[in-house]
Amino acid sequence: MDTSDPTPPPNPTPPEGRDPGALREGERPPADERPFEAAFAPPGDAPWSRVSPALAWYRRIVVGALCLAVGVAGAVLLLLWASWPWAVAWAVLALLGLVAGWVLAGLFHRSWGYAEAAEELYLTYGVFVRQLVVVPYGRMQVVDVTADLLEQALGIATVRVRTAASTADTRVVGLPLTDAVRMRDRLAERSESFSTGL
Amino acid sequence: MLLPPSVGWRPPPVPRARPEDDVTTGVYRSHWMIVPIQVTAVTLVFVALVGPILNTFGFGWVVMMAVAVVFGTLAYALPSWWYGTFGLREDHLVVHGGLVMRSSREVPLSRLQAVDVVQPLLMQVFGMAELRIEMAGGDATAVRLRCLPRGLAERLRVAVLAHAAGLPGRSPEAPEWPFYRLPFILLLGALTFRVPVLLSFILLLMLATAGAVFTEYGVIGALLPLTLGLLRYFWGPLARYTDYYASLSSDGLRLRYGMFQRRMQTVPPGRVQAVRVVEPLLWRALGVARVEANVAGYAGERQGDSATLLPVAPRRRAFALVNELFPESEAAHVPLVPNRGPVPSLVGVDERLFVSSRGLFCLVTEIVPVERVQTVRLVAGPLARLTGRAAVDVDTPPGPVRARAAGREAGEARRFLDALVEYGRRARVPAAGTERWATRSTLSRRPSGRPPRGEAGADTASPEVGGPGTGSPGSGEPETGKTGTPDTPDERGASEADDTPGR
Repeated sequence: MDTSDPTPPPNPTPPEGRDPGALREGERPPADERPFEAAFAPPGDAPWSRVSPALAWYRRIVVGALCLAVGVAGAVLLLLWASWPWAVAWAVLALLGLVAGWVLAGLFHRSWGYAEAAEELYLTYGVFVRQLVVVPYGRMQVVDVTADLLEQALGIATVRVRTAASTADTRVVGLPLTDAVRMRDRLAERSESFSTGL
Repeated sequence: MLLPPSVGWRPPPVPRARPEDDVTTGVYRSHWMIVPIQVTAVTLVFVALVGPILNTFGFGWVVMMAVAVVFGTLAYALPSWWYGTFGLREDHLVVHGGLVMRSSREVPLSRLQAVDVVQPLLMQVFGMAELRIEMAGGDATAVRLRCLPRGLAERLRVAVLAHAAGLPGRSPEAPEWPFYRLPFILLLGALTFRVPVLLSFILLLMLATAGAVFTEYGVIGALLPLTLGLLRYFWGPLARYTDYYASLSSDGLRLRYGMFQRRMQTVPPGRVQAVRVVEPLLWRALGVARVEANVAGYAGERQGDSATLLPVAPRRRAFALVNELFPESEAAHVPLVPNRGPVPSLVGVDERLFVSSRGLFCLVTEIVPVERVQTVRLVAGPLARLTGRAAVDVDTPPGPVRARAAGREAGEARRFLDALVEYGRRARVPAAGTERWATRSTLSRRPSGRPPRGEAGADTASPEVGGPGTGSPGSGEPETGKTGTPDTPDERGASEADDTPGR
């Protein structure tokens, strides 16, 4: 604990009532009694910038298509080769998978957040394994925007940031396309101005 | 290992540069011997594989086809040798290659990460060497100049490093100070004195005796993997690090080692991204340790080849090397905080270094300079969240070092992350880059511990000093690249201080 004392911690305890639309309601205990919320709080006073709800729909469409295909194909095959109770059981299983995927997609979407601090990009994501990633602008080697067909249809894009370390998955998913392009330009410009080599 | 005190240290006499030694201009290619070697090898393989079939038609056919293969190979090898050229153009290395698909690469030498001269046994016989210039882009971007005449490889290495340092390519090689010579007895003893190796030895002996006594041939099935494992983990490092010698120069750390495969590695200052000191259980009784590093150029297979900086060294020497690699910092002075988890680990961060020490049996101390940290991550898995804990991952370019502060309480972990980010922000000034290190003042010895950042920024405005041919002895200044920390009594005792050059 003593090690970090000399630093001015940017803001370990976030202000009350931050980010009304997102994760929690106001009835929860204050942030310092919920150590995980405090630990994964955004830097400074500003709340996390949340990503577009289209991200949740993107995942739901993918999960839905997958569950539908697997459920229908499995049910038909089981109906042909076995009896109908097996087919119904399979269909129910697929439906359960769909519901779980549906809920998880929403949770995942709400877990995403990013914040652009003065010299670093902060990212947070993850439902099961929760992560907070800090990428200094000067460390960014490549910034690119990608959007696959479904993302294009939903009007969102992914901003991917590469550093010299390959272990971290540093990307911002589910940004509206114009925001993504603007963010890429901003990040590229900052990575240029803060550049310190490798 | 013990050398006379360096009080009266003088730079070694610099040999006068002869005109034929100048590699900064002109076009070079591999040793001509590579052509007959290639022709002989291809012909031998052909005769061994196809010869028996042809012999059924008569011996004349074998001779005729062999001659045809010789000329065919010659027709390919000769032009590809002739057109595979390289040369220095200002501070860029230009490499041409390919016969059918011509390729041409221009490599900015200021971005190089490490330079290795490698001589496998066959190349030693013919007096040849391979020059490897490692760039940050990983495996595919390294420049490998194979089968050079030995002298050319050496001179080219000097010129390449001089260009990378921002000096004219004709500058003489920077002088070096001996740092550590590994006695063969210590290498042999340390490699033997490890739990897995000892257990394998005992098991091997027991199985062999059992097999011999009961004439049971089934034990061969168990002997084979044991022998292979011993070859890999005992004989491999033994042959590899025989005659190991490390020295320090203003061009960085120089390592020379190997018997069957002679190597010379040069890691310029600031290219080491992270370091770990590994002390296996039994080595702690001997007081020795191993030092491994992440260098951005050593990717892929070369990561295992070249990442070890000191295979076996006394603990003090190991930490002295860490201090040399990260000047103006002192790993021993970083305050460490224990965690209260089941797996013990000590972690600390100060303005320059992140230090973590973990392991029950094999003690691993990982040291990452905060200015070299790429990303910082706070990670909490489902199990960790049940116990209210989180981990802080410190990401560096790939290598053996994976620095991590595991099993911390959430609030503590966040404070840790904030401290790392804050210190990193302060340490990461644009002038602190390490390209063309000889032209910068940030790496030179300063009277005070704190770096004067303002001055450093002014110096980078003139990356090129002097024209070519001035022969500036700038790379020979003994203080460049040396540590600025005052010698501390706990890490460098009076007996150990002899390797530090006097000023």
